[in-house]
Amino acid sequence: MRIRTKGQGQELAMLLPALFFIIALIVTPFLLSVWFSFTDQRLVPRPIPTKFIGTTNYERMFVDPLFWQAIWNTVVFALIVTPVQLAMSLGAAMVLNSAIPFRGFFRSIAILPLLLPMTVIVSIWAVLFRIPAGPFNAVYQWFAGQGNYVDFLGNPSTAMLSVVALSAWATFPYQMLIYLAGLQDIPQDLYEAAKLDGAKPWQRFRYITWPGLRNVNIFLLIITTVGALKLFTQVDILTKGGPNGATTTIIHYLFKQGYATQKVGYASAVAVFFFLAVTAIALLQRRFLKNEGEA
Amino acid sequence: MNRILYSGVALATCMMSSHALAGQLTAWVIDGDSEKPYFTQLQETFNAKYGAEGITLNVVPIPSYNEAIQAATLSGGLPDVIMLDGPNMASVAWAGTIQPIGDLLDPAILEDLLPAIKAQGTYGPQEEFYFVSPYDSGTILWGNKAMLEKAGVRIPTSVDDAWTRAEMGEALAKLAALPEVEWPLDVKMNYGAGEWMTYGFSPFAQSNGGDIIDRQTWTAEGTINSDANVDTLTTLQDWNKAGYIVPASAGDNKFYGEKTAALSWVGNWMWPAHREGLGDDLVLIPPPAFGEAGPISANGGWGWAVPSSSSNLADVKVFLNYAMSSEQVAAYADTTGYVPSRASAIPLSKTYGEGGAGELFAKLAACCAVVRPVHPAYPVITNAWATAVVNVLSGDVDVKSELDRAAKTIDQDIADNDGYPPFGQ
Repeated sequence: MRIRTKGQGQELAMLLPALFFIIALIVTPFLLSVWFSFTDQRLVPRPIPTKFIGTTNYERMFVDPLFWQAIWNTVVFALIVTPVQLAMSLGAAMVLNSAIPFRGFFRSIAILPLLLPMTVIVSIWAVLFRIPAGPFNAVYQWFAGQGNYVDFLGNPSTAMLSVVALSAWATFPYQMLIYLAGLQDIPQDLYEAAKLDGAKPWQRFRYITWPGLRNVNIFLLIITTVGALKLFTQVDILTKGGPNGATTTIIHYLFKQGYATQKVGYASAVAVFFFLAVTAIALLQRRFLKNEGEA
Repeated sequence: MNRILYSGVALATCMMSSHALAGQLTAWVIDGDSEKPYFTQLQETFNAKYGAEGITLNVVPIPSYNEAIQAATLSGGLPDVIMLDGPNMASVAWAGTIQPIGDLLDPAILEDLLPAIKAQGTYGPQEEFYFVSPYDSGTILWGNKAMLEKAGVRIPTSVDDAWTRAEMGEALAKLAALPEVEWPLDVKMNYGAGEWMTYGFSPFAQSNGGDIIDRQTWTAEGTINSDANVDTLTTLQDWNKAGYIVPASAGDNKFYGEKTAALSWVGNWMWPAHREGLGDDLVLIPPPAFGEAGPISANGGWGWAVPSSSSNLADVKVFLNYAMSSEQVAAYADTTGYVPSRASAIPLSKTYGEGGAGELFAKLAACCAVVRPVHPAYPVITNAWATAVVNVLSGDVDVKSELDRAAKTIDQDIADNDGYPPFGQ
């Protein structure tokens, strides 16, 4: 196939600034990471030269149980948080798109989490999770009796679910706003016609709303999944990857290797693996989920 | 390649850098609220004393200090004198960023330094002196006197009558039985798997005859995973399983705020909060003797170093000897609340001198402080140990397996760096 460039000089010129930044800020760092991943590069200067060590970093990475635990935790987090967050977002968007009283006020309230930095949100949730008498445990004690509490963050079986709950709440308004825009794009006469035909609310959702949001769903599924795979801030502040690695994610693992123990070469191998894995997942999602009108 | 990693920060730091001019000294210092009044005083008094001789000092507090130092190292923009955090000194010295200062310091000052402070500044097989701190820090057991008395627990007052491990276990059991106590001992699990886990928990290991690396051979296998360390961490794990230790999710204030913990194992930086929270009920208890080595306290902190690029050594010498004079060391301690690093400065300090509230801290710093390993692999050593401690205190994991993993991580890093020459040669 021959790419037609004649007469497109102006368009190409307009692409140049974006192309420059993509090459400088994405392509070049990635290529450097690939190179570093085959060396024993360290974070700080050292008197012995950096050596090319072949695939040693990759070999060590693949036999490190903590690496696989981080992969597992990241996948579990993404598999849980993505549907939960999308369901929350869609539900909230549908409520805020309906004719409820004070709709403008509630729409403003709903995007509040987006206005707070993640570090602040996590600090607030750390207090909510506190034992033995934090707000969540106060609710728990209402049912389970005084003196009982759950160490949400200290128990390996509840720590990841706690991070899921916090993460879903903290970022769902972004998806909600996109769903809201998607809902407003669906022609109202479709709903009116369906009502005249006697369609129930569930049927209207099933046959009008859901298909009408197809493109929005595909977009949100991809960005929410990729965002979930990059989980770091919540874990680093709230649990530091614990207890016993129960909330260690791949980015947290990468950070500890590259920054805390200064092994930039090894961390680069993890970064390259992560980049390829996320790209593969995003491509697979695009392969199986076609936009409306695509073949 | 590191130039690429730091180029952005380096560019910014170049703007701040100062080039050595005879008679004009620049010292970069940490940008902390508690230290700021001291540094202001240091600059004013130094300039008043040496200005007439043509030597002036400019003390520059630097935000994001470690990043700024790394960037300035690469851009060649380091000033005449810098501050470093003690445990990081070895990796900076190994990189060749700083130069020995033993010849710059008055021998009387070197002689007068507390033993662990001297050890903290001594680097490499040649045992050259690279770094000097005006203060020392330490860990201690802080107690709630009312709770201890109610539980009928003996309160040790000196290093000589410190609790043994068994005695501390019994004390914890008695304190746990008090209705007002939720968890008797706060060991700051809420600080997470960072430097605290080495600073605060390696003294227990050292007290029991263990350590986190062999300081002669610089190998971790056989030391960090020794039987003594397994024994130490198993005791701590048992205490945790028995519900004696405040969990990480319980927050920071169980001892001094809610007063539902009777003891707290933490450093002297918590003194103001403890004093305000407990008032007359606050007692300072020496570290427990976990084993034959007796009570051990942590030590170390920020101090002065001279970049290799610094050429104005005659003036730097004047500055170092002034900053480390007994009066200045005492002033640093009284301003910041840390222990003076010179034996002769301790009597001059209101807090740490004879009869002062912090006398026990000063005695611990002099007799029982063990420096963290002064080795370029320290970032890896501390991270491996901290991870093991947090895992052991987070659940029912096998202590030996955790320590074996730490040993493997450390030894692999040392091998990857050819033994960090001249270490291991």
